[in-house]
Amino acid sequence: MYTPKVAVLFGFGINCDHETAAVFELVGGSAERIHLNKFINQQASLSEYDILAVPGGFSFGDHLGSGRLMGNRMRFALRDELHKFVEDGKPIIGICNGFQVLVKTGLLPGPEAENPLPDFHQRASLTLNDSGRYEDRWVTLEFDQNSPCIWTKGITRIDCPVRHGEGKFVMPESTDLDRLAKSNQLAVRYVDSSTEPGEGITDEPLPFPISPNGSMRNIAGICDSTGLVFGLMPHPEAVYAKWLHPDHTRGTAPGPETSNSLGKWEGEGLQIFRNAIEYIQANR
Amino acid sequence: MNITRVEVTPKQGDGLSDVRGDVVRRQLLADHDVKVGDVRSIVGFLISSNIPSEEISDRVDDLFADPIIEFSCTDELFIRNEEQFSKTPDAVISVGFKAGVTDNPGAAALDGFRTIFPHTDAESKISTYITYIFYDLPSEITIEWLENTLHNQLIQRAISSNKEDCQNQNWPEIEYTAKPKQVFENPKYVSLEISDEELIDLSENGLLALNLEEMQTIQSHYRDESVRESRKAAGIVEDAPTDVELECLAQTWSEHCKHKIFASKIHHTDLETGEKSTIDSIFKTHIMNPTHDMQKEVDWLLSVFHDNSGVIAWDDDWSVCMKAETHNSPSALDPYGGAMTGIVGVNRDILGTGLGARPIANTDVFCFGPPNWEGELPDNLFHPSRVLRGVHAGVRVGGNESGIPTINGAIVFDDRYIGKPLVYCGTVGIMPRRLNDGRESHIKTPTAGDIVYMVGGRVGYDGIHGATFSSLELTEESPSSAVQIGDPITQKKMLDMVLEARDLGLITCITDNGAGGLSSSIGEMAEYTNGCEIDLAKVPLKQQGLSAWEILVSESQERMTIAVSGKDVAEFESLAKLHEVEATAVAEFTSTGNFHVKYNEDTVAFLPIEFLHDGVPQLQLQSEWSPPQLVKFEPPKDINHSELLLKMLGRPNIASKETWVRQYDHEVIAQTVVKPFVGVERDGPGDAGLIAPIHGSTHGIVVSCGINPRYSDIDAGAMAAASIDEAVRNAVCAGVDVDKIAGLDNFCWPDPIESEKTPDGKFKLAQLVRANRELERVCRAYRLPCVSGKDSMKNDYGKGENKISIPPTLLFSLFGDHPDVRYTATSDLKDHGERLYLVGTSHDELGASEISFMLSEEDDAIGIGGNVPKLENPEQNLSTYRELSKSIRSGLVKTSHDCSEGGVAVAIAEMCIGGRIGAIIDVDGTGDENLWARLWGESLGRFIVGVKPENEQEWLEAMSGHGITYLGETTQQENLVIKDGFDEIIDLKVSDMVNSWQNTLDMTGGGN
Repeated sequence: MYTPKVAVLFGFGINCDHETAAVFELVGGSAERIHLNKFINQQASLSEYDILAVPGGFSFGDHLGSGRLMGNRMRFALRDELHKFVEDGKPIIGICNGFQVLVKTGLLPGPEAENPLPDFHQRASLTLNDSGRYEDRWVTLEFDQNSPCIWTKGITRIDCPVRHGEGKFVMPESTDLDRLAKSNQLAVRYVDSSTEPGEGITDEPLPFPISPNGSMRNIAGICDSTGLVFGLMPHPEAVYAKWLHPDHTRGTAPGPETSNSLGKWEGEGLQIFRNAIEYIQANR
Repeated sequence: MNITRVEVTPKQGDGLSDVRGDVVRRQLLADHDVKVGDVRSIVGFLISSNIPSEEISDRVDDLFADPIIEFSCTDELFIRNEEQFSKTPDAVISVGFKAGVTDNPGAAALDGFRTIFPHTDAESKISTYITYIFYDLPSEITIEWLENTLHNQLIQRAISSNKEDCQNQNWPEIEYTAKPKQVFENPKYVSLEISDEELIDLSENGLLALNLEEMQTIQSHYRDESVRESRKAAGIVEDAPTDVELECLAQTWSEHCKHKIFASKIHHTDLETGEKSTIDSIFKTHIMNPTHDMQKEVDWLLSVFHDNSGVIAWDDDWSVCMKAETHNSPSALDPYGGAMTGIVGVNRDILGTGLGARPIANTDVFCFGPPNWEGELPDNLFHPSRVLRGVHAGVRVGGNESGIPTINGAIVFDDRYIGKPLVYCGTVGIMPRRLNDGRESHIKTPTAGDIVYMVGGRVGYDGIHGATFSSLELTEESPSSAVQIGDPITQKKMLDMVLEARDLGLITCITDNGAGGLSSSIGEMAEYTNGCEIDLAKVPLKQQGLSAWEILVSESQERMTIAVSGKDVAEFESLAKLHEVEATAVAEFTSTGNFHVKYNEDTVAFLPIEFLHDGVPQLQLQSEWSPPQLVKFEPPKDINHSELLLKMLGRPNIASKETWVRQYDHEVIAQTVVKPFVGVERDGPGDAGLIAPIHGSTHGIVVSCGINPRYSDIDAGAMAAASIDEAVRNAVCAGVDVDKIAGLDNFCWPDPIESEKTPDGKFKLAQLVRANRELERVCRAYRLPCVSGKDSMKNDYGKGENKISIPPTLLFSLFGDHPDVRYTATSDLKDHGERLYLVGTSHDELGASEISFMLSEEDDAIGIGGNVPKLENPEQNLSTYRELSKSIRSGLVKTSHDCSEGGVAVAIAEMCIGGRIGAIIDVDGTGDENLWARLWGESLGRFIVGVKPENEQEWLEAMSGHGITYLGETTQQENLVIKDGFDEIIDLKVSDMVNSWQNTLDMTGGGN
């Protein structure tokens, strides 16, 4: 079986690079933490890799808006390489600060399906939580079963933590959101954990803290129209194992009963990363 | 250079709002009960560059503003824009930084500016400000009050428009101000051939913080003929120090760096027992010796005391280290900047341990005045709520932006901390046992000839005299240069780079630049090779014109000092370049025996290494103990204990700190198993942090703490014992292996040296003696080595009658091994029918208890005196703890909570809150005949444990002989019922307890 190569970006205040690399390794990838400047200085080539991950953190301290300065560096210095990456059918994930970076480079949500390759035009944003506070708390997420997103296939619902101060997803017009909804790009939403799995998604604004930030239509993450580029505010890598779930100490942490990664201890978050690895193995 | 102004304001409506402005509105409501209609905000940038305004204007939406959510304008004031700000406000205040103060958003903006305008010249700068616009401001609120509430004059500048100005459209307009020019002064020679009085004056006027004997020691050094000869040979004036040397000695010999009180010879008298004795160094006698004795018995104590943190072997591949520091004086002057430099500073201690360890977890413990304080405030002190907000924000930003989870901590309140808040910051680190080149990574390996680099930030005027200043009491004239704001991103880049350099084997020696700056960092490392030669002219500066002594002692943040072997210099420098980290060779190790400092070709300091490090004379101090005479706490008769419990749950010392703690990232690195808040709703109190730092492995580390400063009112010895026991109990709750635990002792004391301004110095020093004797006794009994620690000995404010001294405070932090994180316990009750037991016994120990303080503050009782909790038989406790911990690790017990403030009543209430479940317990037969002692007493060594019925028998057998008492069980009801035999004492709804516990410190001002 081919071992997909994963580039996990770091530098300038990215700080979830270790665990993001680790979860790709746990599901059969070969992950490498690579400083962004290595790609910019051409000491490394993005084309050598199958998957790109932009982890969470505080790139440039979130000054001038989260993800902005990192997004600019990528938008100006790696434009062609990123375009080619998506054109080659290779998946990209941005988590938390990485999602903010992808939104601000314009990779997410990206152009419409007729001409889906990156045009680096910013169409959405992530802004201050309605609470005005950075918070670390657990949320319940539900996934659009019809989404083209290759990262979320087969996943209905998971719990994972959010850890952000600027996670409120906004777009200028509600028709913008309608368009994404129609193409099933609103891949993941915050839902009320007391609803039945599969029936939690709603466009009606959910109260704090079910929706931790006041995102439009409770959006937690989106994909581009190719389904290759995916970003979300919550941290699925932070629940790679059941012992990281807050209910673990009560003996009720959810997750698969068996897995080839951690046996009965695999957490709910790992499947997202396995999906991308298996996608490469199947489509390469 | 032209100056371009860019302003940005959030769009409103269609789901968008000005959250930044609204947060100010909510905080005014929460902290001051001031109701403002609406607050809007504008962020401003003042760009001093060679790029024309028109070009900048074209690209504003590429950098300064996010066009989806913000409007921008260039070279005008947004407030003049009637479309955006149509209504006339009642007040407008603009707040910017004073020139020279770290402006992180400005620095980041400049970095982004260069991405867009690659031809930006080197001298360009960007400074930032925020304008707040107030609508419907209550008429009694003055613009002066509002201005003072929104900014700190020490580091910020504010200009404002009051109502009249607003009506006349006179708007505040902050202008760009360059840093004031710094004038380079050639090193001066300071003659010490002066009288003793003049020596004292010299020390005081120069903020040297040295006493007469120390000044005389320096004086005689320069009279020594052999010294004069070697100075002559080095080409420096022979018979007098330079200002560089004097400053260097003052830093190195400061209380902050040399811990002179802990090293002193103390003549101790105990008036209670008649004991007279002499202690030759508290540190060596009571802390170091016990640890060294334990080091002979175990194989896992790798490095204790001498490095930046203590290191233990965790498994065959990894070692773990921990360090805690305080940053009290800076936090009093600027809570935000002071606390932030505290947390990022202790992170550097970890990075500077061995050949470099990676920080993986933070702990924060704060002591503040009560946040709802309504009394008078002494001059120059902030209201406790402002200190709390500022310190919390500093630690939050410092920790979160560095990607280090905050997994454990505490907040303690007492009136006396108004005079000096205590800000303890701790960090746990991890490093491979061996590097690829075979070196053990906890051992530094410098050799003469190694090149010494300064890495990270630059040196500036900020941070001069921090070490000597913190060795003095706080006064109204405390210097602003002692205050800094951290820059976590510069440090994070440095951290990434340093750890890569370590793994490549490029580092031979590393330490951080903290107190004393380069003088301390290079000076300390030079002890390894016995010498160094520094060229201060090579040191990169934030601003030109710093004099030699200022460069040497400045404590500017985000700097490491790293030694690299000559053959690795090129690789090291190219790695720094990749990471965009500044690394400059500034010195070389030698073996000459001298600390040799040059500025270009001129020798400006020439001090023997031995004199620098070991020349400080030992202090001789007197201590005298007589027990304080306090009125004994007598509980009132006929009081409703249910009401008491609700009030106790709302006491700041007990109430939930969730609002604050949830704003720390406690889960980055994906390792945190037991989180700060636990239970069904994830809002019950956690006892200890538990992490599994190696991804995929279940091997864990437990981190906990204990702190009980109010027991010092009766006996500081009992205070120390209680703090250690609390830290151990908390760790036991998580299932720590009690045979592999290590501790950190962080003492914060009021000045204990008798003098005119400290007439009770002998008593305060006796308190220190008692605390350390108990520390030794308990640590030996628990076989708990102290591997690192720190002391801060001048925690007083003011003089004479207005003097405020903190209660003597020991924070005891603990880190220990946990073989498998899948088996742990938490405080929340888990299920109906869970069987509840008290481990340990309740004694008549209500002295200095939280209930005694509450009732005497409310005049329902008099006095807080009486028996303070004592640790009579720690060996027995250890054996109980070992068994309880084992039963947690074997999976028998999932619920365990330690009893501390508020005793059994508060502990069981917290457990019900975490589980959202009722319980019925009976405190009859749990100890002393006095119900108050059994209900509210804070006796040590106690836990409440919940065990499932099916595991009960096995657990009881395991715990036989360990003093456990059946309390009751969880119920299907929504009430907590506490009985004393046939009497029902307490009956409360869990939901009411939740409200009491959560409301006090919520302080969000509503709105989510």
